[in-house]
Amino acid sequence: MAAPVNNRSDCWAVPDVYKHHEQQKICISRPKYRDGRKDKAVKVYTINLESCYLMVQGVPAIGVMTELIQRCALYGPVEEYRPLDEYPAEEFTEVYLVKFQKLTSARAAKRHMDEKSFYGGVLHVCYVPEYETVEDTRLKLQDRRRYVIRTVQNKERKQEEAVNKETTSSNTATTSETVIPRHDKTSDNDNTEKTSNISHYLDFPLLPLPPQEYDYYWHKNYHGTVPIEDKMGTLHNAVIETKQQQGHSSSSSQTSSDRDTEHRLTPSQSSAVVRFVPRTTHLENRKPKMEDAAEHSATDVTRNNEPLIGPKLPEPPKLNMEDESLNRTVSLIRNTMKQVESFPGLKPVEKKLKPRRRI
Amino acid sequence: MWRKGSSEGSDRFEYLQTLVTEFQDTDSDEAKEQVLANLANFAYDPKNMEHLRELQVADLFLDMLTEDNDNFVEFGIGGLCNLSMDPECRRVILESRGISLVTNCLSSRREETVLSAITTLMNLAAPSSRSQVADPAVLQCMLRFSLSESPRLRGLAAVFLQDCCTAEQAARAERQMVEGRQTAVGIPLPEN
Repeated sequence: MAAPVNNRSDCWAVPDVYKHHEQQKICISRPKYRDGRKDKAVKVYTINLESCYLMVQGVPAIGVMTELIQRCALYGPVEEYRPLDEYPAEEFTEVYLVKFQKLTSARAAKRHMDEKSFYGGVLHVCYVPEYETVEDTRLKLQDRRRYVIRTVQNKERKQEEAVNKETTSSNTATTSETVIPRHDKTSDNDNTEKTSNISHYLDFPLLPLPPQEYDYYWHKNYHGTVPIEDKMGTLHNAVIETKQQQGHSSSSSQTSSDRDTEHRLTPSQSSAVVRFVPRTTHLENRKPKMEDAAEHSATDVTRNNEPLIGPKLPEPPKLNMEDESLNRTVSLIRNTMKQVESFPGLKPVEKKLKPRRRI
Repeated sequence: MWRKGSSEGSDRFEYLQTLVTEFQDTDSDEAKEQVLANLANFAYDPKNMEHLRELQVADLFLDMLTEDNDNFVEFGIGGLCNLSMDPECRRVILESRGISLVTNCLSSRREETVLSAITTLMNLAAPSSRSQVADPAVLQCMLRFSLSESPRLRGLAAVFLQDCCTAEQAARAERQMVEGRQTAVGIPLPEN
């Protein structure tokens, strides 16, 4: 190998012909099962061989430097470039040094441009790490280590997510219960990315889980206002239950204490799980249930003031509030309502609904 | 090389297993070199780390470092250079007393072997193993490399001296070299 003319390692020094610039002989003796699509030499690539500096040989000497750099720039930003006039070149060809901003760009450019035709010539592209500064080399090694660690961690996380998905896709309570301690175990790992992944996972209710598990997670992790369905069946605060709504007889026990107490369920509905009930359903249910509702809520005066929409309901029976003043108030209100209803031409009061935002 | 789709992890594992099996069964040095180079290049992709750990490929690479065949040594240390970027593989190499085997590669006549050895040592320089990595003999070696004609060797040795030892350790090693009390005797510089 030619001895270097000087010992400067910056890219403006006179280039030397190194062994790693040369194309090695292609291996032709590989057995079929490991013979690749493209014939290649037997060579091992390490981070030391790769570099953001590339040397491009075989460029036709017809003034196509700009076109060459434009082609290089397809693979990423080019930081520097210059012709290497001192480098031994074939007749009528030129050699260029190109520095990419990123190693990945250099890798892509080498892969796609090496042995490819360019304005009638065939390019030979190789890495030239000898042009790196000490700082270039250090950064290259650091980036490589970080990339490997990140990729390995991402792969482990994806594998864990895949395993968790399989675990939670089962509908059994025991399976779901075991998920919780497993999460606690894995969250003890040093890997903060894993931990954040677990907490991210726990922020959302597990679907589709039976209501008791759903409820557990809901109360464990959701400390904000628990959405409820109001008396009108308005859905602005509906409890969203997706799939586990039918026939879970065990769910009746947990509707009482675990749920937010503002969620009113009529006795006939209390045996059912909390369901996403459309507004109309509630209206239909309200007809026969008015008597029961009136008996249950003694202090709920506002009930009688709720605007009536739909068919007129039968008059509620006289209610004894067991207090004279209250009874007087109730009958006063009732009479007022009758007067209002009897007034001709009066349209039923319609509750102004806020326009729903459709996302 | 037959490049498998990375989506099927089990297919990739089986293919790597086939390579390892061929390496162990074949008598042909040429085939061994090809397979070794294949495995070392697979070690460059971090997605294969887990499979390679399961197949104990790190031990296979370490075994190559004491071979007479220079290609075996070069490909083996190249594979270790790639594997040692992964913390888990690093641990395996350290447990197999890899530091001394890798250090021996610093005396190779092949530049690629020496460069891979320096990078592997830098990767292995965890706080627990730093004293072994920053052994005075190794530091003196690096000091000589930092004066080499090869820009790659100079650069990598400079990074080692800056990142893997303290200024005092480097200064002490330099003093010892100058005073002629070299503990690493006769380590030649590699040919380019």
